[in-house]
Amino acid sequence: MTRNRQIALIVIVAIVAVAAGIYFNPLSRVETPPTEPQPSPAGAMETNLADLEGGQSSLSKWNGKVLVVNFWATWCAPCRAEMPVFVRMQSELGGKGLQFVGVAIDEQPKVRMFAQEIGVNYPILVGELDAVELARAFGNTLGALPFTVVIDRNGQIVRTFLGELNEAKLLAAVAPFL
Amino acid sequence: MCRKPRHDRLRKWAMVAIVLLAWPAAAATGLLTADQAFDLTARQHKADEVQVRFRIADGYYLYRDKLRFTTEPAAIIAGSPVVPRGKVRDDEFFGKVEILRGEIVIRIPVRVPSGTARFTLHAVSQGCADAGVCYTPQSRHLTLGPGLGEAKPATGADPHRLIDSLQGR
Repeated sequence: MTRNRQIALIVIVAIVAVAAGIYFNPLSRVETPPTEPQPSPAGAMETNLADLEGGQSSLSKWNGKVLVVNFWATWCAPCRAEMPVFVRMQSELGGKGLQFVGVAIDEQPKVRMFAQEIGVNYPILVGELDAVELARAFGNTLGALPFTVVIDRNGQIVRTFLGELNEAKLLAAVAPFL
Repeated sequence: MCRKPRHDRLRKWAMVAIVLLAWPAAAATGLLTADQAFDLTARQHKADEVQVRFRIADGYYLYRDKLRFTTEPAAIIAGSPVVPRGKVRDDEFFGKVEILRGEIVIRIPVRVPSGTARFTLHAVSQGCADAGVCYTPQSRHLTLGPGLGEAKPATGADPHRLIDSLQGR
């Protein structure tokens, strides 16, 4: 009985420690938990947004790829901080079917300038309210950035992230689908 | 005789464990909305001054140089808003930027033509959470006027203003 109680106490202390660790780590507080793959919201993949070449594209253009859709803006410091990781992953894993697409909630000239500055090697779409609405459709009800959606080859959403990503975290999310 | 209490006790522990495990999950959606994080009120405090008050939640901040105020009719603003100095932060990308935290009172000189019962103040702000996310610029409008009390922002989106604010107007 006493031993049971001791074990129970150890288990509780361990759980509290883990929970507190997660709770007080600010980044994990903005993390959305992994969920079962979900279909993309109706129309989201077909939403046309301006691209940097003067045309229009929708996410459906990259159907069949493992898509990482990253909503960002030049005025968002954590967004700028994480983008070099995406550039590296695109060049390393693009051959395996990984495709990043940036969706900037911003103005074209600023986006173009920053993309050139850090050598973005993946397509970027640009929008204002339409891009905010697209992020909302994918579950970003707060309108906060950066916001990243991982979509598998069947067009199912497998993971969303709010807040700055690192390579390990993103790799863990995309690796099973490559 | 001993079994039932032990069973109960285990159930109690299990409940505690479930609550604790659910705690971080609840916290995962614990980010405030921009309206909650950057609570805004304003009033025409004197004949020639509007007072704008931001109550910024702990763990959140506004960029001082992203604040914009306009009125409708436009001529009501009679001078530059007086915004308290912020804390200077050396941002990796933006260089030296001033950030505002806590309660901030901004004074805007106004000239309200006699006979004006009310006018609209548009406030644009942009801020972030220390947790590592930034909010899209917020554009809110408040109805002010001589003798009217403290106003809260009107609800509902103001798409044109959002576009203006993205373009830094």
